[in-house]
Order: sequence, then structure tokens, then C-alpha cells
Amino acid sequence: MSIAELEKPSVEQARATSFYEASARARVRLLLDPGSFVEFIGPEKREVSPHLKLFDLPEQFDDGIIVGHGRLAGSPVFIAAQEGRFMGGAFGEVHGAKLVGLLRAAKELKSIPVLILFDTGGVRLQEANAGELAIAEIMRAVIEARTAGVKVIGLIGGRSGCYGGGGLIAGCCSALAVSEQGRIAVSGPEVIETNRGVEEFDSRDRALVWRTMGGKHRRLIGGADLFADDTVQAFREAALELLETTAGFGIDTLNAEQSRLEDRLQRFGACRDAVDIWVAEGVPDAGSVPALPADQFIELADKVRRIARDAR
Amino acid sequence: MLTSRNAEAAGRMATTWQHQREARDARLEAGTRLARGKIVEARDATRLMEAVIRPGDRVCLEGDNQKQADLLSRALLAVDLAKVKDLHMVQSGVVLPEHLDLFDRGVAKKLDYAYSGPQSSRIAQMLFGGKIELGAIHTYLELFARYFIDLTPQVALIAAVSADREGNLYTGPNTEDTPTVVEATAFKDGIVIAQVNEVVDKVPRVDIPADRVHFIVEADKPFFVEPLFTRDPAAITEGQILTAMLAIKGIYAPYSVRRLNHGIGFSTAAIELLLPTYAEKLGLKGKIASHFALNPHPALIPAIESGWVQQIHSFGSEVGMDDYIRARSDIYFTGPDGSLRSNRAFCQTAGLYACDMFIGSTLQIDLQGNSSTVTASRIAGFGGAPNMGADARGRRHPSEPWLQAGREADPDGSALLRRGRKLVVQIGETFGEKNVPLFVEKLDALALAEKLKLELAPVMIYGDDVTHIVTEEGVANLLMCRDANEREQAIRGVAGYTDVGRNRDRKMVQQLRERGVIRRPEDLGIDPLDADRSMLAARSIKDLVRWSGGLYAPPSQFRNW
Repeated sequence: MSIAELEKPSVEQARATSFYEASARARVRLLLDPGSFVEFIGPEKREVSPHLKLFDLPEQFDDGIIVGHGRLAGSPVFIAAQEGRFMGGAFGEVHGAKLVGLLRAAKELKSIPVLILFDTGGVRLQEANAGELAIAEIMRAVIEARTAGVKVIGLIGGRSGCYGGGGLIAGCCSALAVSEQGRIAVSGPEVIETNRGVEEFDSRDRALVWRTMGGKHRRLIGGADLFADDTVQAFREAALELLETTAGFGIDTLNAEQSRLEDRLQRFGACRDAVDIWVAEGVPDAGSVPALPADQFIELADKVRRIARDAR
Repeated sequence: MLTSRNAEAAGRMATTWQHQREARDARLEAGTRLARGKIVEARDATRLMEAVIRPGDRVCLEGDNQKQADLLSRALLAVDLAKVKDLHMVQSGVVLPEHLDLFDRGVAKKLDYAYSGPQSSRIAQMLFGGKIELGAIHTYLELFARYFIDLTPQVALIAAVSADREGNLYTGPNTEDTPTVVEATAFKDGIVIAQVNEVVDKVPRVDIPADRVHFIVEADKPFFVEPLFTRDPAAITEGQILTAMLAIKGIYAPYSVRRLNHGIGFSTAAIELLLPTYAEKLGLKGKIASHFALNPHPALIPAIESGWVQQIHSFGSEVGMDDYIRARSDIYFTGPDGSLRSNRAFCQTAGLYACDMFIGSTLQIDLQGNSSTVTASRIAGFGGAPNMGADARGRRHPSEPWLQAGREADPDGSALLRRGRKLVVQIGETFGEKNVPLFVEKLDALALAEKLKLELAPVMIYGDDVTHIVTEEGVANLLMCRDANEREQAIRGVAGYTDVGRNRDRKMVQQLRERGVIRRPEDLGIDPLDADRSMLAARSIKDLVRWSGGLYAPPSQFRNW
């Protein structure tokens, strides 16, 4: 592959590339307009974690997150992408600070939206306090940016899903798009099993994990606004759609979100399994949902659940 | 006087020659009191054990590497120690916790076995603690052979899918060890007790004829089967893909290996998934990998669907593959009912005598090429790899790969008298899981043997059987090494940045490379940067389901949808 090809990826390439399989850098390169990405604090700056070497653990020059700006269908965007293959995409001090900085810049400029490509298991245990602080700072920065009029869109479809503090941050975003492979939750399957027992949640039962935390279920209960097929191009199109359709942010949005969540709890609080929720939602042949191909699922989801544009 | 004394002796002999049969009849009679016909209620299973098993008996509790007579193992564990104790367990798989609980409780005392995968850590502790008197750790064929010579069970506790009222058994696709165990027990006056998932009017096919089965216990739930041979393509790394490419281009192609066995592991799964893509591009279709002794690996589905594979005989089955196998009877061995018929003893024999190559992974390789999966705290046993990964000295039929390997090992010998060699390939990354080095100066198995005072260290594959080692650094051809020093340097030469690799004699490794004993990726025309997951024919379990046309039904723990 020549340098020119590397710099000018085609739509075909984005269509052929699995978002799940791609590295964070490949996702960013193929998601944005060709050649438009400019990185802040790139790996050449070697802003590595100050903590990992204390544990004799390998560092990564970008600390597992890429931040920068570029263009999406000609319009400027800020973008952050976590690398799920480095320490499970976990938030550490530097990793978190890069995202906070990006969100604060967006707040200052007011008009440029932010895309966050989550791929994270949560806080990096080796820098727990710094990581937890980073989560809190990011959540605040997301809300402040949104208050200033910035749309913050989360895209979730990586290997590590979006867990722990990542799940909390995702909950603060203006809108989310998720693929089947993407999982969104706070406590991970193993954590639940450890604390509540295998009868409560069998973390080895992957079908259970996916129908509880996976993309299809999140879309069907309104936890995510759009469902994307597992290609970078599908996520690009989802981001464009969400940027266009997502409404502003204010106290009315929060009130609407609060009542949406209360309503959800009331309707489904007694359900034992995701399939019970789908049945209650009127999904025909609910048991077949996990096996549905993406296009058929999107059709079904659009029928079953209109996106609540006023909430979030 | 003389005549009457002779008659007396003859009479005495007539009774003593049938001692075992009389003992069996006595056991049968005691057991029959608990049965209606041959059928015993599950709640009476422990009483049945107490009726038919005597202290010190040799008992085969069917624990294979996949299916488990789990109800019978719980029943045996609950026996009254006044009636049953100090048993000598002779079983291929020590897999369930109950298998070891028997020794903790004193129900059993002595153990001869082959494989202990999931219990590898606890069995090590119990051996160290003296809780188990160890006979030996066997390969499958070895243990099966001893069932017929000096380890014949007095009682066999086996598992089947269904039985009719006569006692004919249908084992389902996981026949595994059952015919062998029953053969040895039933024809030497032993008692066979089968747990079945259901009693039916007519079994789908007869895997075990009724006259070899004495008691049937209907279980409340199906016997446990472990999906041991499913590897999720999503977990295959680029390093494993590179080693797979090296194996295909560096070994499969030059030797034209058509008849083979694959070990379990992600590197061999990667090979299976590269056949319809990478190997197809190399023009190898029809020339390699067409006949297998292999469990029904889901990872092989894309190669089968692409027309690569002609025939597979299996040791056991694999959870979720039943419908696929039924629909592909051209490939698999199936019964009149349509489902797979597996047989571990026959498939092991097939792998030993009729395959030209074994390729598999291991945990440790030493400087002589000996390998072992034993570590300081784990004794996983052997299972099938040593028979698959051994040169069969009794082999007499020629084949091109076998002859070619023989030529490389002994280029100056007489062609008509020269033995061929089976290709025995060890494949792995120089640093395995958790960055543990694959190459070591001394196997942990040796330290373990010293600690347990064993007469033999548990070596999985002996160095003199290994012909090739493949790592991401290249392929080492040990057939072409002429002495122990060359062998050691060839191994060091592909050991990467492990201590073993760093202590190589650079000059000698360079010479070995010039002779083609070591071949680097670039020597084979492989660019390591081409090792990309996009080359895999399937990158997820769901892709495998799609390839199978929806016939493969993966168990829940392998689904991410």
C-alpha cells in the first residue's frame, strides 16, 4: 500500500472494514473525511502514563487514546478514539486528561461537535484514583460542553465495549450509536457475578451477556439512539445522522430524560431477562432478535421504538 | 486311589476356573434386587454401587475428555465407606471435581489416568499431599491397551444418550471411549452400569449391544459435555496468524501434507481459517489438508464449505456441531440415524498410523525439543497429543510426506530400508499467555518428577519425535540437524527474545539458516506485516454460523449476540 493510499482511504475501504476489528487509528482514519485528521498530543510527544512503569507494565506513547480534529462530510469535528487493545482501553491520568482537554476546547468554541469512539473496560486499576478523577472531570466536561451548545456523540462497537466509568460518560452524551458487538454497562459481567453470585449473572454465558448489555438490547430499550452495522462506514453514517437529528440541551431535556428512565423502570423493572422486555415491547418472535442480521434488526427497532429526540 | 485323586483335582479346577464369572453373577444378583429388569431408579444409584462394587475394585468411571458420567460419579461419591472403599480408578479423564472428591473421601485410593485438564491444579496438590496413589499418567491408547492386559475394570460406569428396555445403548455423537471401556469390562466378567438421558422404546442406533450392559440408570438431566474444541476466531492474534502462515508455506506446502491431525489451540485454528484464503491463494487446494483425524472443529467449517476437506474421523464430537455433521455426511462418519459416530480408540490409532503430520501447541519446549504441558503447579496429563505426535515404529505403508521426512533425516541411507518419519510440528509464539516464555532450559516436568519421585518425567512429546518447531521468528527443521548441538542451536534460533533465544550462537544460527534448517519469514517470502486478521475466513463465531448456513449452533458461552 502506498503512502497516498494510506492517506486517502476510500468509502469502499470504510465499508469493508469492521469497526470491531479495526484499531483506534484505523477507525479515526476511515471515519473522517480522507486525510483530514490532525492529532493533538500525538505519540511523537510521548505523553506516557506516569504510573505504569511503577508496576513494570508497558506504556504506550499515546496512552491508549487518540484526540484531534478533522472533517466529517466537510464539517469540522473534534474526535477522540480509545484503543481497546491497550490495557482494555482503560482510563488513566493522561488518557483522561487528553479527553478532558478536547471537551474543554469544544466548550470554548461552542460550535464544533465531539465524537467519542469508546472502547473501554473502565478505570485503569493501576492508576485508580487518577482514573476515577478523570471520569468525574470528563463527565463534567461533557455536560459543560453540551450546555455551551456542543453535541457530544458516542460511538460504541469495540472489543472492550463501554464499561465502568466509560458507561457513565456514555450516559452523559447527547446521543449514542452502537453495533451488535458493542456493549454498554457500568459493572461488567464478571464483577456482577463476583458480587452477586453466578445465579444472578453467569458471566460465562456470553449470549446472556450480549442480550443484557449488547448493542441490540441497548437500542431496543432506548439506551442507544441508533444501531449501526459493524463497519466503519456504518458508524460514519450514524454519526452524521445523529449530528443532524440531535436536539439542543437544557433543563427540559434532563426532565424528559428523567421521566423516560422512570417510565422504563416502571414498565420493565420486574422483567427477569432481556427477552421478557422485548416481549413486553411487542417485538414479534422476541427470541429470534439476537440472530437477526443488522438490516432486519434496524427495521424492527425503528418500528418498535421511535427515538426520543427530546430526552438525553 | 490315584484315579479318585485326579477326579478330585479336576473337580477343584472346574470351579476355580470360573471364579470371576461366579463373582460377577453374585454382584449381578445383588444389583438386580434394586432393578426392574435392568433399570434402576436414579435415587437408588448409590445403593446399586454398594451392591455391585467391592473394596479395592478396579473401576472405570467414564470421564472422557468431553462427556462425563456425572450422575454416576456423584452416586459413587456418596457410598457407605464400610461397603465400598480403596478403589483403583482406571479412567482416561479426571475432569469433574467429584473425580477427585472420591480420593478425598477415601472411596478411591489409586489412580491410573490420561488427562486431567480442568483439574490439573487440584490433582497436582493431591499428588503432592499423598492423597492419591498414582499408578501412571498414560496416553489414551496406552491406557486403553492396559484395559485389556493388566488394568481391566471390574466395574464400568458409563454414559449414553438413551437406552431401550433391553439395555441397548445409543451414545449419540459423543461415543468417545465407551466401546473400548465396555469391551474390556463386559468380556472379562465385569459389570457395566450406564447412565442415560432417557429410556426409549427403540434407540436411534445401537452403539453398545444390550448383552454388554447390566444396569441402566435414567438421569434427571443430560450428561455433561464440554465444548473443548471450539476456538473463537475473534481471539486469534496476528502473531498466531503469522505462525499459521509460516506453517502452511514452510511445512504443509513443501511436504504436501494431506493426512493430518491438528491439536487444539489458536495457532491451529488460525491455520484452519487460512486454508480457504491464504492457502487458496498459494494454489494449495487439493494438495494439502484433505484428510483429518480430528474432532469436529467449528473453525474448519469454512475450509469444508470451500471444498478443501474430503474426510474426517473423530475422537469425540463437539457441542453445537450435530446438525452440521448430519448435513455433511460426505465428510464425517455417521450412523444409520444420521448422527456422528466417534470413537477415541480408533481415531487415536488412525492418527498414529494413517496421518503424516501432527501439529499442535505446547507450554514448554526445552533445548532438546522435549515438550510438556506440565508446569510447577499443574498436571494436565497427556490425552491424545503423544500418540498423534509420535513416529509410529510399526508403520509400513509409504506416503510422500513420510518418505520425504525420512530422506531429510537420513539422506545417505538406503532408500529401500530407510524408515519414513511422521512430521511432528510444535507451533507457538515465543512468549505465550501472560508473556511466559515457550522455551526453557529445563522443563518444569523434571522438577515435578523429582518432587513426586516419579520414575518418568511427564513429557508430552519427546524431542526425538519432534521434526519442526514454528514460531513467529521462523521454522526450525530438526530433521536436518546432524547432532545435538545443531539441534539446540536450531531451537534457540527460533526462540526469539526468550532467554533461550538470546543465548544463541549467532554464527551457527546463521549457518543453519544458510542450509535451510532455519527459515525466516523473509526466506519463505512472507511479510510479517501481511499477517492481518482480515485474512481469516471467519473472524467471529457468528461468521462460522454464516459459513455453515445456520447449521452450526454454538453453545451460549461462545455467542456474542
